[in-house]
Amino acid sequence: MAKDTAMSQGVPDAPFVVVPHPMGMIPEAEIQKKAENAFAEIVKTATLWKPSGKLPEMKPAYPTERVTFRGSAEELNSLFFTKGWSLGLPLVPPTPDRVKEMLKGTSLKPDYVIGKVPPRMGALTVELAAAHAVMAGCKPEYMPVLIAALRAMLDPRANWRGATTTTGTTSLLVIVNGPIVREVGIASSQGAAGAEHHANASIGYALNLIADVVGGSKPPSPDKSTLGAPSDFVPWIFGENEDRLPQGWEPFHVKRGFKKTDSVVTVMAIYPPVENIDHWSVTPEEHLTWWGHLATPLVSIGGPCWISQMDQIHLVGIGPEHAQLVADAGWTADQYGKAFWEKARLPFSVWPKGCPNVDLLTRKLGRLTPDTPVPITFSPDHIQTLIAGGAGKHSHYFAPFPSCFPVSVNVEK
Amino acid sequence: MKTKDCLITMGVLLIVLGFLTLTARSFAEGTATAASPASQGFPSFEVLNPEGVVQIVPTVTLNPHPSTLEGKTIMLRWNGKHNGDRFLNRIAELLVKEVKGVKIIRSWEVAPETVEPITGSQERSMELMKKLAAFKPDLVIGSQAD
Repeated sequence: MAKDTAMSQGVPDAPFVVVPHPMGMIPEAEIQKKAENAFAEIVKTATLWKPSGKLPEMKPAYPTERVTFRGSAEELNSLFFTKGWSLGLPLVPPTPDRVKEMLKGTSLKPDYVIGKVPPRMGALTVELAAAHAVMAGCKPEYMPVLIAALRAMLDPRANWRGATTTTGTTSLLVIVNGPIVREVGIASSQGAAGAEHHANASIGYALNLIADVVGGSKPPSPDKSTLGAPSDFVPWIFGENEDRLPQGWEPFHVKRGFKKTDSVVTVMAIYPPVENIDHWSVTPEEHLTWWGHLATPLVSIGGPCWISQMDQIHLVGIGPEHAQLVADAGWTADQYGKAFWEKARLPFSVWPKGCPNVDLLTRKLGRLTPDTPVPITFSPDHIQTLIAGGAGKHSHYFAPFPSCFPVSVNVEK
Repeated sequence: MKTKDCLITMGVLLIVLGFLTLTARSFAEGTATAASPASQGFPSFEVLNPEGVVQIVPTVTLNPHPSTLEGKTIMLRWNGKHNGDRFLNRIAELLVKEVKGVKIIRSWEVAPETVEPITGSQERSMELMKKLAAFKPDLVIGSQAD
């Protein structure tokens, strides 16, 4: 993966010495032995390596290559899978006619390059995105949402490269706000992030197809995910349930600086969500205490072991009924976020001695004793909330992947 | 380009630690043309190759490495992953023992702000590299992976 990453970043022949896995979570004596075994090769590479400077040949991104095929739908799916052009699920053949029809859903020209998809740095034209939309079963009217999500993912703040190559179980979180939710039928209420919702399912499938096929993030490498997840097929994608916002609470995209009438897609790479199943609390204080036992700094890659994580934005998708509980008591969304931040803590004694950056943590939090309650982030402003889902007493905490921030993009037709 | 100039001044040696497998295909190979199965009774038709092309622009040029490490300044770069510092500390001990006049700089001691496992962007990685380049090492040995 490191070789491919260096290549895709424009360093074609970075010198490497490979040391057998694992490195982390083993005793120091074993590490020293590994260093001793690698030492001669390191010295050799340090003194004899010479750059070759070779890069792959550059081909034009447009028009997309056409391939002639003869056979059944089953054979086409089999061929695509063998070639690494599918996720293994059935897909609709991306014929030129179908792609042309899909392109009617956007005013962008087919040769427009949306960006280069990491880690492979495949050039993603609008035409190529449309081909994937066809493969995933999208309707043309979904194209603006798909392209907005892609633009957001390609923003460096989204850290798409890291999220698709990590050993962690990461997924893309896609939140849609504004009039486009109704216009194209994005599910935003009961079971919105689940199955049976055509727009959510097909747009999400297209996003992951593009990540896997154009971006090349395939297991076992460069996608190094230890376990992977079903969300590698269709990510978490839903509309905010703006109809169930308590009185006085603003939609998620408005809190992020957009107008209520704007249609906005927000993306962020996340770890598996943590569910708060609270059927019993009758006060906001009781309810927020539940979060204190569920959403701990350990959920976000070990919290202070990865100190940059504590300066990131963490999202809470509040179920409408939980939101109403706290709103009925006069709470605002900001109060909810602050109370969540106050509760979601663990004593410093939890972290192992190998945890780096303790000095930086001390600079931020002051002197640390084993009993010091370490917060989930450095500031309550890092907690952002939205209304997620329909009836029921369930809310969800979405911890971000490291160095990954939510990116919001206007949907443009 | 300042970053480029900065990086050209240093040789870079990266150590990849702990790879489970190196079965990844090279991204440099480009796409292949699909072979059509000889299925009778089906019409032929065109599909778009969904893989797209790879367009990589060179960003930095690495210097040739020195022919000897004697008398050289070597920067050890740790990204914060567990045990990477211990591995590099042992390499430092061996270098001092085996190589005459070698000088060792540990990044996590002189620039702790560069201990960042996942930078998230090439721009941020370049910022960190610039900080390390300011110490004017002849060579950088880095550790990464799990």
